[in-house]
Amino acid sequence: MTTERETSNGCQAWYLDRRNFLKTGAFLGGSALLAGQLQSAMDLMGRAEAQTLAGGGAYPLAKPENILYSVCLQCNTGCGIKAKVVNGVVVKIDGNPLDPMNLTPHLPYKSSPFDIATYDAILCPKGQAGLQSAYDPYRIVKVLKRAGKRGSNEWVTIPFDQAVKEIVEGGELFKNVPGEENRKVAGLKEIWALRDPKLAKALAEDAKAVQAKKMTAAEFKAKNAEHLGLLIDPEHPDLGPRNNQFVFAWGRLKAGRGDFINRFTKDAFGSVNAHGHTTVCQGSLYFSGKAMSEQYKEGKWTGGAKFYWQADTGNSEFIIFVGASPLEGNYGPPLRIPKITEGLTSGRLRIAVVDPRFSKTAAKAWRWLPNKPGTEGALALALIRWVIDNQRFDARFLANANKAAAKADGEPTWTNAAWLVKLEKDGAPGAFLRAKEIGLSEKDLFVVLKDGKPVAVDPYDEANAVEGDLFVTAEVSGIKVKSGLQLLKESASARTIEEWADIAGVNARDIVDLATEFTSHGKKAAADIHRGVSQHTNGFYNVVAWYALNLLIGNYDWKGGMIKATAYNAAGGREGQPFPIGKLMPGKAAPFGISSIRHDVKYEDTTLFSGYPAKRPWFPLSSDLYQEIVPSAGDAYPYPIKALFLYMGSPVYSLPAGHTNIPILADVEKVPLFVTSDIVIGETSMYADYIFPDLSYLERWEFHGSHPSVAPKIQPVRQPVIAPIPEAAKVFGEEMPISLEALLLAIAERLGLPGFGKDGFGPGQPFTRPEDFYLRMVANVAAGDRAGDEVPDASDEEVKLFLASRRHLPKTVFDAARWEQIVGTGLWRKVIYVLNRGGRFQDADKAYDGEKAANKYGTLINLYQEKTAKTKNAMTGKPFPGLATYIPAPQDSLGRPIEDRGYDLRLITFREISHTKSRTAADYWLLHLLPENSVIMNEVDAKRLGFKDGQTVKLTSASNPEGVWDLKNGQKRPIAGKLRVIQGIRPGVVAFSLGHGHWAYGSADVRVDGKVVKGDPRRGKGLHANAALRVDPVLGNTCLSDLTGGSAVFYDTQVKVVKV
Amino acid sequence: MSTPTPMSTRGEELGRMREDLRRALKKPAEQRHWAMVINTKRCTACYACVVACMAENGSPPGVAYRRVGEVESGEYPQVARTFMPVNCMQCDNPPCMKAAPAGAITKRPDGIVAVDYDKLKGKDVFERVSKACPYGAFSYDDGRFYTKETPALQAYEKAPTYEYGKPWVRTNGKPPVGTARKCHFCVQRLEAGMLPACVTTCDGGVSFFGDLNDAESLVSKLLRAHGSMTMQAALKTEPRVHYLVDDAQAADSLKACLACHR
Repeated sequence: MTTERETSNGCQAWYLDRRNFLKTGAFLGGSALLAGQLQSAMDLMGRAEAQTLAGGGAYPLAKPENILYSVCLQCNTGCGIKAKVVNGVVVKIDGNPLDPMNLTPHLPYKSSPFDIATYDAILCPKGQAGLQSAYDPYRIVKVLKRAGKRGSNEWVTIPFDQAVKEIVEGGELFKNVPGEENRKVAGLKEIWALRDPKLAKALAEDAKAVQAKKMTAAEFKAKNAEHLGLLIDPEHPDLGPRNNQFVFAWGRLKAGRGDFINRFTKDAFGSVNAHGHTTVCQGSLYFSGKAMSEQYKEGKWTGGAKFYWQADTGNSEFIIFVGASPLEGNYGPPLRIPKITEGLTSGRLRIAVVDPRFSKTAAKAWRWLPNKPGTEGALALALIRWVIDNQRFDARFLANANKAAAKADGEPTWTNAAWLVKLEKDGAPGAFLRAKEIGLSEKDLFVVLKDGKPVAVDPYDEANAVEGDLFVTAEVSGIKVKSGLQLLKESASARTIEEWADIAGVNARDIVDLATEFTSHGKKAAADIHRGVSQHTNGFYNVVAWYALNLLIGNYDWKGGMIKATAYNAAGGREGQPFPIGKLMPGKAAPFGISSIRHDVKYEDTTLFSGYPAKRPWFPLSSDLYQEIVPSAGDAYPYPIKALFLYMGSPVYSLPAGHTNIPILADVEKVPLFVTSDIVIGETSMYADYIFPDLSYLERWEFHGSHPSVAPKIQPVRQPVIAPIPEAAKVFGEEMPISLEALLLAIAERLGLPGFGKDGFGPGQPFTRPEDFYLRMVANVAAGDRAGDEVPDASDEEVKLFLASRRHLPKTVFDAARWEQIVGTGLWRKVIYVLNRGGRFQDADKAYDGEKAANKYGTLINLYQEKTAKTKNAMTGKPFPGLATYIPAPQDSLGRPIEDRGYDLRLITFREISHTKSRTAADYWLLHLLPENSVIMNEVDAKRLGFKDGQTVKLTSASNPEGVWDLKNGQKRPIAGKLRVIQGIRPGVVAFSLGHGHWAYGSADVRVDGKVVKGDPRRGKGLHANAALRVDPVLGNTCLSDLTGGSAVFYDTQVKVVKV
Repeated sequence: MSTPTPMSTRGEELGRMREDLRRALKKPAEQRHWAMVINTKRCTACYACVVACMAENGSPPGVAYRRVGEVESGEYPQVARTFMPVNCMQCDNPPCMKAAPAGAITKRPDGIVAVDYDKLKGKDVFERVSKACPYGAFSYDDGRFYTKETPALQAYEKAPTYEYGKPWVRTNGKPPVGTARKCHFCVQRLEAGMLPACVTTCDGGVSFFGDLNDAESLVSKLLRAHGSMTMQAALKTEPRVHYLVDDAQAADSLKACLACHR
């Protein structure tokens, strides 16, 4: 039987209902400015209206002088954009044809901006709607200071200078707020305790000695008696200086602003606490990549890159997308959709999709495997088992034990699959066998068996090729060993394929078919994975298993296989680059100490070690643990914090169980000073003490970098394309818009931080404006990564075009004379060349080197991770497994299974292509497509539970039995929305899309300067169910986490759907 | 069956269509035959075309020239999703023209069905032409703005758009407010040598555009190489939007659509 149901968003939206609009008042003192802008635009438009166009030639959006090239930020893909400006207003945004993100193949970099003005390339709906994020009537333009309790949404506007002064000096800043009459806030001046880098280095040395038990705490105190006041806790000198009580956290951050924040926080202020949000996105994907890319240098595993691989989509013949939907998210649109649809229609490509939901990607797939969430690793192990049992792996590739062997085979990468791993007493794999241990060599080398005989391995030896036996179980000089590949085989053989299929809830037949297909295309097949694999408590091992599957066919660095991102360096420091901005830093601080999220350090190595479990988890193998930033402050572990700065982040909205952050942020004792940089009052910034207005992506600088599936080397440059919306401020005597940069520069000015100000980059080299920083970075991109790699000079016509197309930009953001001075006349025309094209992009024909990617990873990939295996879980005291293995999910932070009986449905999240988590609620065109989201449920479950399509339901879970967002301001918002009953989701699983259900972000009333600014209810429709996601029962104030790879867990919560 | 020629990468396709367009513009308008070809097999319902069109043509709330239908069919786990982009078919025998006041809707020499905003005014007129159109191509501009009742009406909503090669600023009582609006293949872009906004932004590479009077154009070649159909051909409206159907999946898609749109 076939049934048809119209599920359209587009069709519904075609006939929009007439809406009753709210009466709204002037907003945040900004209406005058906006009205002024509007008036001048209207005047200009009146003139435009008066003139009749003389044919198509007068269509202003086709004229090069009306087009600026920049980079989208409606999601993190960062596609190239053409911003088309009429009378100073961006009226249309299209894709940049020079950028491989937008076109395959993209146009040659040397193309003239005059010729490409009429050439628009691909862009997704979010990109098309981006101007509505900039021209958002709820943008803030002045600094807001809290006038009521945190979260009360009572604000006053205050002058920028006053806000900066208050933050720096501290004091009784909120004495007008009931309950805070006598609260004294520590200013940054007080928190910036240790200012002498030399002293910092000496204290750090001694703290390290205390950690290593070469010095006692008493000895430390005696030796450093006069400096103890600078430390957080002299009993624990390894916590570092009080500077660390300043924490800078961010959500979406790209290079440029990232370098700026790190310069401020670490290099100038001397705090170790600059933390990103990686774990809320795909942490365990990144940190699996890190573990698999660690290299053995001077006796230790080091230098692992926080990165991941993706399929070379445009050249693959078969891709298994696991927990990834490139047709909806997954760094997919513009960049990957056309490659997939072209491949499907030309016959080049076949895809399979593993996802409990019948995503749009699944709708195009040859096979859909609707697995049980959390079993992705089991599925990978099933495929691995089949590939090994049927000898379908690339034995030649896997036998290569070092660089020379790989080179001889024309392989860019090699693995440690053949290296011998020693077994611990309990039989568990531990460290690699060293050649020294069996008298094979004096050097620190590894060992393989070749035809049964031990051979020493130097992984990086380019001359002497070493190949090893693949499947080894042996005793060498009395030491029990197995090869890495043998261990993988055993891990995969723990269950039969049928048993694995049963665990994953899929058909064994499909597994065999997928494995057969996967091994039928040489190196042009790939398993491409994302959040659905990594955001589980077992995420790290799921990822490692899928990456191991790719290793079995040796597809890394091969055309059509797994490739990585490569970007032109913007920070400088490579040969031929003019401005190594990290080094142009007189008086650079020397931050030290344990980070506030306990990352990059082993619990056992610190003075806080007091047996297992630790008070909270430690994260020696990951970083940027978003779900730990605020909750760790809440528990004051490892230490209390004094000030939290948050940039372009909304942990309350974005984190699973993000509601756990609310009571902590609302508590002035736990977070004594909370400052945010935001473009609107968001779900998290509503708890701030001060909100500094920021620039939107159309008003600012950034260096967006690349993504793994982009084969060419690129560096898209985001630059101001419209006049700034926030008010101007004066910092270091310079006029600039209030922004993240203005905030940090102004604090630096008031504190006298090193590396900023008139000699910020060195004597006579000022750093007093944002452009002083960013133009140097553009110059680095223009110069290239080695001598002779520079871009051409812009022609005279291009220079004129550069100026003419910026004629609408005020001097606060565009000053050609100053800019030329910053980079120097020699580089100025090269900088223009880059900016006229929106960045730098390697030509398509340079992206491949025959059948291999030109921009290679090109080194050892760890099938077996010795470093991981030698690291302990701080909660259990047990070592982390060193290779792919199946660990059932979910588990709490003590490793105990979570069952939540009675909650009968598994909740997962997904992304509609039209929304990006917390930041597209302002885009009315996108709301037109999907005015509200819903809870989607299979008809089988709906019938069983007696639900009908379209009815309103609420979600509850064991950690949120009430099913509400408690905003801690007297308001509670139920986790409720409409139910949509469909066929395309695994029974037993329900889902909602991220991006709707706002209660801030312009959706609700706020009070500013005593006046109510009415919210727009269109922005708050639908539901946001992150608060139903499981709170870790041990920690109680954060979500479940993958303690190895750091992921914040989205897909391991059992819920109940109840009638409202 | 799926004979892929001449499917190629979108970069190549956009480049070719751009050349086709520019070649056609060198001919007199009456020698051009603008047409759109849609390959639903490539459609991913990304809605980029819908939003690109709204931005390009300044669509207010309630107005959209392009829409994408989505249908789910089958039963778990044998499920299918069908995505169907639709806009004005630019019929060679347009029923809307007959329903409209004289001269309000005209057939241009290049085949575009053009609306004269100064003549196609009033809700009643909209209802008449809308009823006559079997494709739901028209929507009524009732003068609303997306940001009007927010703290500040935003400048982009009052910026001119350039439909039919003239600047239009939406103000009360002035066209296009109070008119029936629909797709015109982005005539302002065509005349500037640019492909329609829905074609250039299309993530899936679904939409093709060009001159069917040019045998060398990509659209001509696509229609020669593939089976195709027009919507509701029995009505003899002679649409200039063609859907490729020589693929089992495409045929299924159309069946799914027809289940509701008989």
